[in-house]
Amino acid sequence: MNSTIGKWGRRRWIVLGIVILFLLCAKSLGLTPAGLVPPDETRWERAGAFFKAALSPAMDYQDENVPEDAPPIWLKGLYGLLLTLKFAFGGMSLAVPLALIMGFFGSSSWWPEPRGWFLDLFLRGIYFAFRFLMSLLRSIHELIWALLILSAFGLSPLAGMIALALPFSGTLGKVFSELIDEESRDAAAALKAIGHRPLQTFFVGTLPAALPNLITYSLYRFECALRSSAVLGFVGIETIGLYIELSHEEFYYNEVWTYFYLLLALIVLVDFWGAGVRARLNSHKGACEA
Amino acid sequence: MSSAFELNGVTCRFGDLVAIDEFSLSIAEGEQVAFIGPSGSGKTTLIRLLNTTAVPSDGSLSVLGDIIADQSVESLRVLRSRVGTMPQHLGLVENLTAIQNVILGRGGQRTTLRSIRDLIIPSRSDTEKIHQLLRRVGIEEKLFTMVSKLSGGQKQRVAIARALFQEPEILLADEPVSAVDPARARDSVRLLTELSGELGFTLCVSLHHLELAKEFFPRLIGLRQGRVVFDGAPDSLKDRELESLYELTADEMMADA
Repeated sequence: MNSTIGKWGRRRWIVLGIVILFLLCAKSLGLTPAGLVPPDETRWERAGAFFKAALSPAMDYQDENVPEDAPPIWLKGLYGLLLTLKFAFGGMSLAVPLALIMGFFGSSSWWPEPRGWFLDLFLRGIYFAFRFLMSLLRSIHELIWALLILSAFGLSPLAGMIALALPFSGTLGKVFSELIDEESRDAAAALKAIGHRPLQTFFVGTLPAALPNLITYSLYRFECALRSSAVLGFVGIETIGLYIELSHEEFYYNEVWTYFYLLLALIVLVDFWGAGVRARLNSHKGACEA
Repeated sequence: MSSAFELNGVTCRFGDLVAIDEFSLSIAEGEQVAFIGPSGSGKTTLIRLLNTTAVPSDGSLSVLGDIIADQSVESLRVLRSRVGTMPQHLGLVENLTAIQNVILGRGGQRTTLRSIRDLIIPSRSDTEKIHQLLRRVGIEEKLFTMVSKLSGGQKQRVAIARALFQEPEILLADEPVSAVDPARARDSVRLLTELSGELGFTLCVSLHHLELAKEFFPRLIGLRQGRVVFDGAPDSLKDRELESLYELTADEMMADA
């Protein structure tokens, strides 16, 4: 009886501790509830205008200086989406092969058994080196990568793609290595028993078995890449994010929402498509399973 | 008649557990043998010793005339490519097709690069040969079907076809029919013994269906707690020996529960 009360008490203390920590952070950051309210009239108006504009996305440019023969805004928006897709797809196309290589070296399921101490040390060294590399790559956010690469190479499409590819290859690689290592070793063991070499069992047994999971995860990451690609617009790379940012600077809120809605539509579409592909990949699991 | 397996005083220990205890056994090429005994008697460990995936802690073991202890890692691997194994769980790659799984049977005799190529573009002669094999085991129309879409019995046939494609000198099967209904079990065991007769490979199958073992195998080896308690023709398996084979001690009953 005492131990149950004690346990409940401990959990309560932890929650209390978290709340206190939150309040301390808020205080040191200077947050107050009053801070949620815009300080002056213009800011209220602007906030109001921004959210009101959600109900009436622009069908035409709000900027009068846009020439008559310029393409209609929705077309420009679609073009922006196309660019966003291109960067996302290009970035992922670079990230996936990199991730496969790094994921391979960051996994241990293909190591030969038995192995001598030298080979063991060598393989462990490579393993930790690649896991460290993948951590490094993914710990730097794509926006920061973009800034780094832009300052070195200037504003170019390749820079944008690499800025996406690097962190994504780190995340993909880490998950790939885990998916590979978690894959059941039944098939690999059976193949080893009939004379396959360790690397061989990896490529023809373990990897094909893990492939549907690798594909599913890559598709999910592609959706994330789309969002990241849009955000890259805020550092000047031409995607729909750039159009959003430029319109926002000029207070053309209706245009901002037009672009937002287009981006939302794209993400929802890709989400559906991804779910469809994933369903087909997993359909082999049998109709009666959840 | 040359030897398939020679075991002399072989003991196999996993930590404190003695799975195989001072085993001495001799199996000649071309023989058809069934290993029988209750769960935990050491049948699976014996199969693993015979395909060299388990190493004896004591005693000497030779496979196809080669003493295991003298072999290098590479020569062991080559030896394994001459011995086919059907593990209890089949060990198929679920999201590869039947033909892709079967073609892996020869992986031990081919290079890694060739194996990868086999999965992507199998050669015409391989494809035809595998088609014939699948016909022999009765599932030729499943050539390009993904294994995950096959029934348990069909998966087993793919595993048999993979073993046949390997053209092994010995085929080991660990409880191949434990999860299959009785009618299908008889068909599978009959198929294995027929193939062994036709193609001439040594066949060792571990079974706990005593009736099946008696019906199809000319030699039964009874295991109990890692020791041989019976080795001979089914007719000479007396009731008393049968009892001692299957009579469970209190410990075994606990283990089974």
